[in-house]
Amino acid sequence: MDADVKRKQLAAALNRVARGDRPALRLVYDMTSAKLFGVCLRILNDRSEAEDVLQEVYLTVWNKAADFDEARASPITWLVAIARNRAIDRARSRAPSRRSEPIEAAADVADPGASAFESLASAQEQERLKSCLDEIEERQSLAIRVVFMGGFTYEELAERSGVPLGTMKSWIRRGLAKLKECLER
Amino acid sequence: MTDNSVPETEDSRLIAAEYVLGVLDAPERRAVEQRIARDQVFAREVAFWEKRLGGLAEGIPAVAPPTSAWARIEAALAQAERRAEERAGLWQSLRFWRGLSLVTSALAAACLAALIYTGALSPPRAALVAQLGAEGGKTGFVAAVNSGGGTLTIVPAALLSAQEQKAMELWLISPGDKPHSLGLIDPNRPVTIKVPRDLLARVNKEAVLAVSLEPLGGSPTGQPTGPVIANGKLAQL
Repeated sequence: MDADVKRKQLAAALNRVARGDRPALRLVYDMTSAKLFGVCLRILNDRSEAEDVLQEVYLTVWNKAADFDEARASPITWLVAIARNRAIDRARSRAPSRRSEPIEAAADVADPGASAFESLASAQEQERLKSCLDEIEERQSLAIRVVFMGGFTYEELAERSGVPLGTMKSWIRRGLAKLKECLER
Repeated sequence: MTDNSVPETEDSRLIAAEYVLGVLDAPERRAVEQRIARDQVFAREVAFWEKRLGGLAEGIPAVAPPTSAWARIEAALAQAERRAEERAGLWQSLRFWRGLSLVTSALAAACLAALIYTGALSPPRAALVAQLGAEGGKTGFVAAVNSGGGTLTIVPAALLSAQEQKAMELWLISPGDKPHSLGLIDPNRPVTIKVPRDLLARVNKEAVLAVSLEPLGGSPTGQPTGPVIANGKLAQL
């Protein structure tokens, strides 16, 4: 199915969830749970914890669907933000990270030729982000990608990369400032 | 409103980006969330980054969750619902409605009376109710607009069989207007629907409620596509 149709279908289902429509929640779940579980798993690296968080995510969707505003965010972007926030909160609340793979491994990504529906942003926005990330220093852009996908703290990232904490913070902050400048152009 | 812990330096404006990126620790995240709730400019900054950086999630592979995951979510929802029921008392009690709705049209009047009675516990204005007549003159559903008009409860009054691969969708129809969806309903249990803000004014004694059969997930067009199985006019009591 065409990405635009899926997006509209998902937005319509979320609007129904906002009215307390339980079958619509199941529809949202069927359309998005694999993506959101992947996002949680990436950050938590533990299936059972990711499953706990997935449950919290859909309860949040049930309770907060009225906050979804189609004019401001695409439905999948909204859902991914909820899943990432929940997973990051869970990761922060537990004992120091149990992840042991080298930091570069976290940047490994699936084939970007994902299905049309996986398209989170419009092709145009996606292209823009990519070109802006290419514009900033490579180590900064790599750090930004790694942190976004893995949900690392500055401390974890500094430790794993063998870079002093202050240096890591200023890399990322400078990278974000330049990224913002480029994205707003 | 200013926040002393977050001075307006370049770094602190970037805190919205750092929050979305996910590098902040737990106390910093709580502080950011409080700020989102009270500072609209800052909330827009967070939304900017969510939209822009959101594309990075594209590279994260989808992983099918275990099949038990949905059952857990349903159980958690049911538990939350039970707690809400305990708070709301009889009005929201599924067991009460289930018992009462195991009746045919002969008892629909009792259903209606119960709706009025429970709705009348705190009536800021006269209640609106509707009996939705189904084929053969039976009452298919009884609906009542809850006090304040913000929600509507619809109760199956007859034993309706759920149809395979079909959903039942409730519509609000004002004279001279196209039908507006109020969402999907369940033929086996009462459903309370939050009336969307833009439709509140249309919930009055001129309006008709109708139930149509639609594909699973509801009408794909935003308008009824299947047969209407029950309908009735709202009436003031």
